[in-house]
Amino acid sequence: MIEKLYRTVSPILYRIERLDDDKYGYLLIGPMIFILSALAFYPLIRTFWLSLQTDDLYGEHPVGEFRGIGGYVEILTGGMDNILSAPFFSLSDPFSSALVLTLLITAISVTIGTLLGLGMALILNKEFRGRSFARMMVILPWSIPIVIQGMMFYLLFEPSLSPFVDILNSIGLFSSNPMVSTRDSTVIVILIDIWRKIPFISLIILAGLASVDQSLYDVAKVAGASKWQQFKLITLPLIKPVVLIGMIFYTISSMKVYGVVEASTGCNTVPTLSCLVVDTFQMQRWATASAIAFLTALIIAGIVMVYLVSFRSEVDSYE
Amino acid sequence: MSNATQEESKSFLGRLVDLMVNNPYDSYRILFYVGLTSFMMITLFPFYWLLVLAVSPDGNLYGMGFLPNGINAAVFSQVFQQQPIHLYVFNSIIIAMLTVVICLVIGSLAGYAFGRVDFRGKGPLMLLLLIVSYFPGIAYLIPLYEMLTGNLNISIFMTPDLYGTPWAMAFPFTMLTLPITIFILTTFFSQIPDGLEDAARVEGTTRLGALFRVILPLSAPGVVTAAIIVFISVYREFFFSFMMSNGNPGDWAVLVYGILAFEQQSGQQYHFMAAASLVGIIPVALLVVFAQKHIVRGLTQGGLKE
Repeated sequence: MIEKLYRTVSPILYRIERLDDDKYGYLLIGPMIFILSALAFYPLIRTFWLSLQTDDLYGEHPVGEFRGIGGYVEILTGGMDNILSAPFFSLSDPFSSALVLTLLITAISVTIGTLLGLGMALILNKEFRGRSFARMMVILPWSIPIVIQGMMFYLLFEPSLSPFVDILNSIGLFSSNPMVSTRDSTVIVILIDIWRKIPFISLIILAGLASVDQSLYDVAKVAGASKWQQFKLITLPLIKPVVLIGMIFYTISSMKVYGVVEASTGCNTVPTLSCLVVDTFQMQRWATASAIAFLTALIIAGIVMVYLVSFRSEVDSYE
Repeated sequence: MSNATQEESKSFLGRLVDLMVNNPYDSYRILFYVGLTSFMMITLFPFYWLLVLAVSPDGNLYGMGFLPNGINAAVFSQVFQQQPIHLYVFNSIIIAMLTVVICLVIGSLAGYAFGRVDFRGKGPLMLLLLIVSYFPGIAYLIPLYEMLTGNLNISIFMTPDLYGTPWAMAFPFTMLTLPITIFILTTFFSQIPDGLEDAARVEGTTRLGALFRVILPLSAPGVVTAAIIVFISVYREFFFSFMMSNGNPGDWAVLVYGILAFEQQSGQQYHFMAAASLVGIIPVALLVVFAQKHIVRGLTQGGLKE
């Protein structure tokens, strides 16, 4: 039996053996190409194609006829605002529009999260007793299910339970029920996003810190540099490229925020871009949903470009 | 504030500044421990709050401050009667393991090619992987939904209706996690010295034999790292778990629905929500405790490689 199997397989193995590097490489990535074509590239092209159609709410299939980029124009100029649960972008009331809200959440979360992550990384980079325990605790927020991340903060800020809401309300920061106010809920979503991203960004920065040449600090000490000067003149320039890469990934993932919103305050109070797509999808408006999904991707691409262009020199020096 | 206390606090501050200037080493240590403690408290407080809510007896939950209002450990058995959390967790784990297996098989072949074989178009192909992980999940949703609910025609064939089976989620998860699997494995494979593979080849092993007999065993830590990262990524995923399932635990709904079920119920049962969340955390908490090194390595390598 085994011999028979071997006899059928061995010519194939022999052929594989004689392939040149190019063909051998393509053979090995073949399964990956196949799976990703079916599950990633085809869907992307299909979504793009759908975004160029009209919605069809009454037909058998939720997609109508071809109309080119008309759908995009309509979304951007506010023609769809009465259908969407929140305007995509509106000049008159920017903070209720999905685009501004998502950008705001991302900007604040990335700024504060990166600073806190840097602090966390500097602390974890020191030798101290219980360091591996501390590291373990730090990864925990990242690893738990997104739905539970949302649920935790829902339970923390639910006014009938929370020890904070009364205090925050009395000093005027929060209204008495933050779960129904868009402004307060946005703050809560930002808090969740910071809390769960600190592990990721601090681990990335920690890897950067580990690659800094320790003898530089000895030189600095001999030269009489203070700790702050050491940080500003040695640590910061050397870890800057790593921090920037971390920030790019942080930004991309915050722009997609959906799960924690759905699980905590709900998409009605904090309508992010992803929320709009899910809403329109559930309304059977597939074309509109596809168009918003692609607009989101374009906006993220624009932000990544800004990062790459303005920090090109640092990223180049890293690679 | 009265004048006297102001004066006192000023002199106290003054003394503190003197102390810090005179003992820079000690003040850095103090700063360090203050920072460490506050980070730990920020990180752990939401977990503590879940525990407080879970063990407080129902009816005592309102306005109770920071300490539990009595202890009711029975909540952890009652919560399973409210919702079959164990079924949801079981579904999550099975689907995560399914995804891990698919990703490791395809990913180790591709990772070997990217890490150890020189072929044309390597750079652009890796870039393609980055692009896949860059697009938001919503950009894949509608076609995958069509495909996996059996509404897509491929010439005369219809795709099978997989809605309500583990595959409806395992396929999207494979798409989401395959890029990171390949990035992690590429790094590990490329670190193995060429000499070992050459030696195996000289001994008469085939190329694929060398991959399975020499390279894979040597990169076992990398394979474990990739497996753990994929498992956690799938276990914590929200979007496709939410969209590709009808929420019925008999139809492979995952933990997302187990937790949300309490939110949608009438009569807010906060202590059950908290208890269910704690139960849902247990599998990943165990992984974090026992496989912390792998997670750290996987996250940093995956992140920096990309």
